[in-house]
Formats: sequence, C-alpha cells, structure tokens
Amino acid sequence: MVSPRAVAADVLVVGGGMAGAIAALAAREAGARVVLARRAPGATALSSGAIGVAPDPLALPGEPLRAAREPLEAARRLARLRPDHPYAVLGERLGALPEALAFAARVLAPLLAPPLERPRFLATPFGTAVPAALCQRSQAAGDLLAVDGALVVAGLRGHLGLDAALAAAGLERYRARGGPRAFAVEVDPGLGEVGLFRPHELARALEPPGAAEALGRAIRAALPAGAGAALVPPVLGLRPEARVPERVAAAAGIPVAELLADVPSVPGVRLQAALEAALAAAGVEVVQGALQGAGPGKPAMVGADEITAPRWVLATGRFVGGGVVRRGTLREPVLGLPVQAAEGREAGVDLAARPAASLTGAARSGPQPLLSAGLRVDALLRPLDGRGRPAADGLFAAGAVLGGHEQASDGTGLGVAILTGYLAGRAAARPGGGE
Amino acid sequence: MATRAGALSYLAWRALVAHPLRRLFRRRGTGLERFRAAYVAEGLGPTTPEDRAIGEAASACVACGLCELGCELAVAAPAVRALGLHAAFRLYSRSVAELPLATSALAACAGCDGCDALCPTGVPISRIVRHLRAKVLGEGAAPAQGDRG
Amino acid sequence: MDYDVIILGGGANGTGTARDCAMRGLRVLLLEKADFGVGASGNSSGMIHGGIRYMLSDRHVTALACRDSGYIQRIAPHLLFRIPFLMPFTTRAAGATLRDRAAWYATEVYVGTYDLFQPLKRGKPSTRLSADELYRLEPGLRPGLRGAVTLDEWGIDAFRLCALNALSARAHGAELRTWTAAREILAEGGRVRGVRFRDALTGEEGEARAPVVFNATGAWSPALARRSGAAVPMRPGKGVHLTLDRRYSNYGVILSAVDGRQMFVMPHESESIVGTTDDDYYGDPDDLEATNDEVEYLVEGAASLLPGVRNARITRAWCGLRTTIYAYGPNEDALSREHQLHDGAAYGRAGLLSLVGGKLASYRAQAEEATDRIVALLGRAPVPCRTHEEPLPGGDEVPDPAALARAHPVAAPVAARLVYRHGGRAREILRLLEEDPRLGLVLCRDEGILAAEVVHCVRHEQVRRLQDLRRRCRLAVGACAGLDCARVAAQLAARELGWSPEQVRAELADLLDAGWRERRPILDGAQLVQEELVRGAHAAAGAPW
Repeated sequence: MVSPRAVAADVLVVGGGMAGAIAALAAREAGARVVLARRAPGATALSSGAIGVAPDPLALPGEPLRAAREPLEAARRLARLRPDHPYAVLGERLGALPEALAFAARVLAPLLAPPLERPRFLATPFGTAVPAALCQRSQAAGDLLAVDGALVVAGLRGHLGLDAALAAAGLERYRARGGPRAFAVEVDPGLGEVGLFRPHELARALEPPGAAEALGRAIRAALPAGAGAALVPPVLGLRPEARVPERVAAAAGIPVAELLADVPSVPGVRLQAALEAALAAAGVEVVQGALQGAGPGKPAMVGADEITAPRWVLATGRFVGGGVVRRGTLREPVLGLPVQAAEGREAGVDLAARPAASLTGAARSGPQPLLSAGLRVDALLRPLDGRGRPAADGLFAAGAVLGGHEQASDGTGLGVAILTGYLAGRAAARPGGGE
Repeated sequence: MATRAGALSYLAWRALVAHPLRRLFRRRGTGLERFRAAYVAEGLGPTTPEDRAIGEAASACVACGLCELGCELAVAAPAVRALGLHAAFRLYSRSVAELPLATSALAACAGCDGCDALCPTGVPISRIVRHLRAKVLGEGAAPAQGDRG
Repeated sequence: MDYDVIILGGGANGTGTARDCAMRGLRVLLLEKADFGVGASGNSSGMIHGGIRYMLSDRHVTALACRDSGYIQRIAPHLLFRIPFLMPFTTRAAGATLRDRAAWYATEVYVGTYDLFQPLKRGKPSTRLSADELYRLEPGLRPGLRGAVTLDEWGIDAFRLCALNALSARAHGAELRTWTAAREILAEGGRVRGVRFRDALTGEEGEARAPVVFNATGAWSPALARRSGAAVPMRPGKGVHLTLDRRYSNYGVILSAVDGRQMFVMPHESESIVGTTDDDYYGDPDDLEATNDEVEYLVEGAASLLPGVRNARITRAWCGLRTTIYAYGPNEDALSREHQLHDGAAYGRAGLLSLVGGKLASYRAQAEEATDRIVALLGRAPVPCRTHEEPLPGGDEVPDPAALARAHPVAAPVAARLVYRHGGRAREILRLLEEDPRLGLVLCRDEGILAAEVVHCVRHEQVRRLQDLRRRCRLAVGACAGLDCARVAAQLAARELGWSPEQVRAELADLLDAGWRERRPILDGAQLVQEELVRGAHAAAGAPW
C-alpha cells in the first residue's frame, strides 16, 4: 500500500468537462493553485462540439437570420421566461456572459473561432440551423450568414451518416430568411471502402499526410459553379494538431466546414481534448479517479492523492457525468447535497423522492423536471441546503450539476457551463470566496 | 359440465395412479440432470452469480461509443470491426445462447484496457470482455498484455 | 361489391383472418388504424403456450392448443424461442404444512399431465427439482424455497407474427391499409354493406363495400360499435409489462404478486420481461400509459422471489388492453370463454362478425374459425384451411447465422438477429449488401439491426411511418433508446419513401415520442443516464424539440 501523496491547493475543481475546465482555468488565471479531479470524459466529449448559449425564446418562426439577438440578450429573454434556469438565478451576474465567452474563446483559441456579436447558424444533418454563440473553427465556415455564394453539402461516398440531399433540401428552406442556396454533391474521400467506418475511424483515417488533401481535391472537383463553402460530415480529424479542416479547405480551394454531430461526436472529442490541453498549458494539476471527501477544507482522496483545498468547485455534471444519480431517489453523490432544483413546479426539497412518472410530462419536448434536476444555488453559485442556506463554506457549483436547465429542451448546456464555470472559478480563487 | 367433470376425474386418476407409477418406473437421473440434459445443449444454461454481476456492470453502458476511441481491433475483419468490441459486450452478454457467435470479435480484443478509462459511466469493459472471452474461448484465453485480473 | 370481406384491425386475429380468407380465395380488405400489432397482440407477453389451464375444464382443448402451437412452429420456425419455466414451491412460514405438500404434489401431477401434450409442440418434459437443485439453476432466488417443478413453453415476437400474417395475406391478394381507421360500419336494411374509413396520414376519406365485415379491433370495438349503432359487449383489462435490458436468466420464474396473483419474470429474445398487471380499464384505449404504482407492483412482485431484480436496468414499461368476454354462462366450453364471435344479425347488422377475447397462442385457430364463419355468411362452399401448412414469409428456412457470416460481410451475432426476425428472408436482406456495401452498417449494436434490414422492411413490409420500424425490426426499442439508429434509419426511410425534410423530422419526433411514453414511468439508474444522452444527441443533430 502506497502512502497517499499530500497535495495542497487553493481550489479543488471536481469534474473535467467544460464547466470544470473553465472554472479551473479561470481560478488559475486569478492566481490560485488549482487541482482538478476528474473521473472520465463526460457529457462535453459527447456534445456536438458547438456551444449554444440560448436560442432566443421570443424569435419568430420566419424571422430573418440577421435579426437574431446577441447571445446575452437571448439569455436575458430566456431568464425572464424560466425562473428556475441558472441564467435567472444568477440575476445581474448574467451580464458577465460576454466576458465568459471571450475567456473561453481565448483559452481554447486554437480550436474555437472568435465569437461574433451575433450567433452563428450552423447546419445539422436534417438541414436545420442551430444558433451557436461559440463554435470550432472547423464549424465556423458553415455559418449560414457567412457563406459567400452557394453552400454545397458534400456527402462522402460510402458513408451513410449524412444524407447530403436531405440536408441540402432542408437548408434551402432558410433562403427565405437570408440563408444561402444549398446543393448536394457526393465526393469520394479516396479512403477505399468507408461504408462500415464509424465517425472516429473516418476522422482518424483523414489525419495522415495526403488523406485530407485528397478529400479536399475531391470536393474541389465536385463543386458546382458559384459555390461559396462546402459542408462535410463531422469527421475532420480526431486530433486538433493534425489540422485536417485547414488541409481539406486548402486543397478544396473554398472554406470547408463540418455539420453538427450527434453521438459519438468527433468535434465533441476534439473539444474535450482541447480542454485537457488548455489545463496542462495553464499549469492546472489534473488527477484521475473518483473523489471521496467531506468538502472544502477537509482532505479528499482521489486515487493515491490526498488533496486539501479551502475552496471547491463542484462541476460533476448531471446524469452522464455522474454529478446527480437516481436509484429510487435523486442524489448528489460527492457531498450528499440535496437535489432540489428543476424546471417546473416540482422543484423543492421533495423533488428527490418523487416517482419518475410524476417528474416527467407526457410531452417529450417540453421541460422535464426529472431531466433538469440538480443542485439549487444562490446568485453566487453556492449550493443550498434544504432550508435555503449555503451548504458549506467555500463550496461552489457550476455546469450541469446545477438544476433548472436541460441542454435538450433549452439548448443552453455548454453556455451555462462556461458562464457558471467562469464565475465559480473566479469566486473560488478569492480567499473567503464570493463577493 | 360433462367435459369439466371428465377433465377433473382424469386429473384425479393421474394423481392417484399414473403419476406415482411414472415416478417409480420412468425416471432416470435426478431432476437437475434431466433439466440440464434438456436445456444446456440449446444454450439455455443457468446464470451464475458471476454472470449476473457481469451483466449488472454492463448494464451501466449507455452506448455512447467513447470506448471505441481507445480500441483498435486491428486484426479484426471489417464486419467484426463494424460491430465494434463494445458492441460485443452489449450484444453478447444479453443473449448467452448466441455467445459462441461472438468468438471472432472477442478474440480480436488485444486486451489493452484502453477502453476502461474512456467510459463515462464506469463500465469495467475489459473485465467484462475477459469474462466473456473465458466463457467462449476457455479459461486460459485471456490475453496476457494488460491483464491484471 | 368491392370486396368479399372487410377486416377491421391489424392484430393477430385481424391479420391471421386476412391471411386465411385470402388463402381461401376471398377478396379481402384489411384496415388498421395504426400499424400491425399495436394493440393487445404486440403488447401481450409474447408467448405461444399450449393452454395448460384448459386441462382443468377440457383437456381436448389443451390438445388443440398444443397442436396449434406446433403449427405455428411449423409456419414460422425462426420466430419462436424456447422458455423453460421454474415454478418454485413457496411456503407461508417456516416448515411446509400438509396442505403445502398436497398443493405441490397437485402442481407436479398437473404439469406432469401436461407433459403428455408436449410432443405436439416439441416441448420438453417437466421435472421436479429439490431445493438444492433449484438454487443451482437459479442462485438469485430468495432463500427458503422448497423446490420447484419446471414447465416448457415458447416465446415469440408478436409484432412480427402480425406483420408476417399481413404480408402473407398481401401475397395472396389481400389489400392492406395501415394508418387507416374505420370511421363507421355502414348498414342498410338490416345488413352491413361496407365501411367508411379515413387515412390518418393523407387525410383521404373513402368507402369500401363488402357484404361481410369482420371486426377484430379489440379494445377499440366498443367505440366503433357505438358510432355504428351496434353493440359489442366486452371487458377491457389493462396489462402492463416491464422490460429488463438483458436476459436476467435463461429461465422464466413463475411467482406470486403481493396480492397473490400469478406473475412471471421471463427471458424474451435478448431481454427479460416482468409481467403482468390485470386491471379493468374503461379509459381511452389510445391514451394508455403505465402508472407509477403499476411499475412498483411489478417490481415488488418480481423482487419477492428474485431480490436482485431491484438492481436490474428497466428499459421500458409497456401496456396493452386485453379484451375479455363481458360475462359468460356456465355452459360454454373453455375455448369460448377465451373468445367469442358475435353475429350482428341480432341488432340489425347481419354480416357483421365481431371477435371478442382470444389468446395470441390460439390466433391461428381463432382465425380459422372466423374464416369458416365468414365463408358461411357469404354463402360459399366450404374451402379447407391451409394456414397451418403453408409457411409464413421467411418461415420456409432457418439459415445458419455462422454460415451467413462467412458468406457475407456481416458479423455472426448480427446475422443471428437477422435470421431470428426474418428467417429465410435474411438471405434477401444480405444480398442488398452486394449492390450497396454501405448497407452493411450496423445501426443498432444491441439488436443487431443492419441498415440493409431497415431498407428491406421499408421496401417490402408495409412501412408507412418511421415508428412502424419499432415493430418490424425493433428500431429504437432497446436500452439505448434510439441513440445510434434513429437518425440514420430516418434518413434511409426518407430516401425510400420520398419524405421531405419536414416529414423526416416529424417522423423522427413521432418515433422518439413513442419511446418516451414507454420510458417515462421507469427512468432511473442507467436508463436515466441514457435518456439524458439520447435527448442531448437528438437535439444536437437537429431533431425537433
């Protein structure tokens, strides 16, 4: 038995997804010594890799894309409609959103494109456009408002994951709202029989010298006159340093972008890799393993390390990340905090013990208390106990472990992670925490 | 009514005469032996506590596919690779009767354990694969590399 | 007249009767308001049993039921799988009373007598197990049991059974319309003359004429009858089942629920199911969901003998409405207690025949009886039934999955699932890979669904909506809830059926809605994690939200 290695830090961040990494990087930038404990890749690696902040809840169905509000204004509108949402709970601190987004874009600069004043409209395989406040460089050229000319959806021969004709037909519908013309073409990526490839295998196959260039040349050969940009399936390399998107675009002679993806998502994996690279570059110590501990100021065990830090940021995610679990009742497993926040009137201390059927609505697409369950926090992101008081000194929470929002039903997942991670990290960096 | 009376008296005859005679003369072996003879050859063997523990551990899989990032299955035929090793344990620990069909996929596992650290829900993938390999290829078949038991 | 007979309802009875009528040369129209098997048939326990309980009233009925089970194996050998059952002996307190011992002996004799009929359905004889033997076969049983007797039955994919009967009927000339509801049964001068219908997808309304209308709409009968001035008395009972993500055991266990009713936990295909509740239900049959207390009742009942079931992953709760005969007199034989054919002549609807009750396992015999009556109502000369002789589509052969995997670029476990669902037609599906190798993509690793299978079903198995694939090839019904398969399957179906982008999204939303209704009451543990992931993934890919 190896005796534990004692590690002292100012801030312990629990969770290595977007919220945890941004919290750690923000605290580090504020001068704190930061240790991040992570169990495994979680929901960030499984995301589309683009960052929605808030779809504007008041946008009219047919309104021009150019009429889209800036992300902060859309988030404020959402907060007014959904009082349980973290954006609403933060109150005036929601105003830090542009600053938080800029911070994320800066620390993840090699991967992310700089934010614009407006959201970018990125295409999905169904030919719908989703607003994103931040996205990867490999996705930015597909912004419907940035395409100069026609948008060409290039399906890869042999790859069933994208039906280019369907996506192009869907995107054509946005012309009335200021989107580009859309065409479908099919190109041969020159990789042999790719029909049975999974997305990550395809992504890896495009990394070696020559492979990305061959795809780019194939796209160039297939381009119709007037093409302004090409959209391809989200398979442009697993490792950001392989620079597959840039190489494909150079060979194609026009901007090339990836469509948004579902699971398993190559851009999501790249985003997770970029977070890890940023943590290493910033000097955040990352320890791997499940955490056992009693809270800030008390030693916590992670693998063979014993970490003591006066301030903690809990960024453990929701169900995928393991920050909230349900075995008959809802539980926060790290510190046993009460799970009492959710969208809808079911929120409260009784939430945890209610049956699944009464925490869900019959309409799938509506807000679901069960799927949005998590911690209740105050405006300083301090988790609250059953009586509404901060549960522990020096404890903050960020990301999906906060209740009251759900990526699927409100599209705010990574936006909440970035904003609350940024605020919690900065608060935790200050001795005494909070104000 | 007549048929019902007939049915019941027939059952009474079975209970008092035919069944005791059958028990006396027509039985070979124990009940367990007869049961095993009837079903095990069809792949319908009992579920051991170890099997069940493996099944419960595998139940945490949410089919996200992240484990495939750490799995090369380099030597596998394309069709086996297309199914994926993580599919192997999802599919195969569900229908034990079809386990022998999984031989090629399980044999393709290099035993590198790269998958375990990638699983967001903590499924002990390499342990499950080793268990299934041992079941289908025999106990000694677990790869030495990375096999910490 | 347009048709000889119009059949209402696409469950086992409707499709089975359509097949029989068409094979006997009648001109048949079948109308199904949704898809084949969506009602009681597909949501039954999915068993082709031999009618063991009729031995109490008329053992000839047991013989008939076992023989029919044998017939179903003959016509769809690929679709059945064996389920050995353990029936443990329990005692109320420590120590068995004389009464307990007598009850055990009675059970043993009863099952032993059933053994005499087992050869008719290729069944295995029962055995009696000591306590020690029982625990070796199922170590998860709670302590204190005294032994068991075993019982051998068959399970089936009931949705595919309905679809195969429908496809066979179509091959024999029947016209089938799914997603088309009968609005009213038309009558004139005391006789039926046809049906007014509406296509739910196109909105098209129309009338079809026939001298005989066979109503096999199950729990939907009373509403249809009310609209048509007829009466079909019946008692609908709601049955809820739970699905566990994998085979909890290869053996089914019969057990008692908290209220003493009989329940079971049994393997079914690659999963296990726990069933069932049975409560009167007089609500809207289109608005059926499992409630929290029904789920609890089933879990508690199962855990009373198999405590480990509490740790198992429940993937969905599903329900159906069985129709039972409203009231029966003491003089009817056992089989007619299970089902009845009502003749509408009594209330001025001569030519309207309604089926009430019935068992999935006896669907073929019920269809034969109904067809005999239909032929008689038409005044035709009797034609012999052949539905027990001619195989259902794909039932002519059960290819060896390992051999298929050697001959085609497909993994053996995938070939096995393909053969299970499609029998000899698995060969046709695999031939699609020769023209288009992309179709070798495995869409679902749990169920082994190939892209080629989706294309085949859409082309040849009367698929009009994406959710029909839930029933044709188990698309998005497994534990992963459509994570991998739903989007690509929607794209494939769209290409075959010419759907617009809006239609594809609407169909995908409809498919996801159907799964959500079944999972909503059971979301817990890993299945809740799965739900979060699935919702996020589909939202990210632009599925409607």
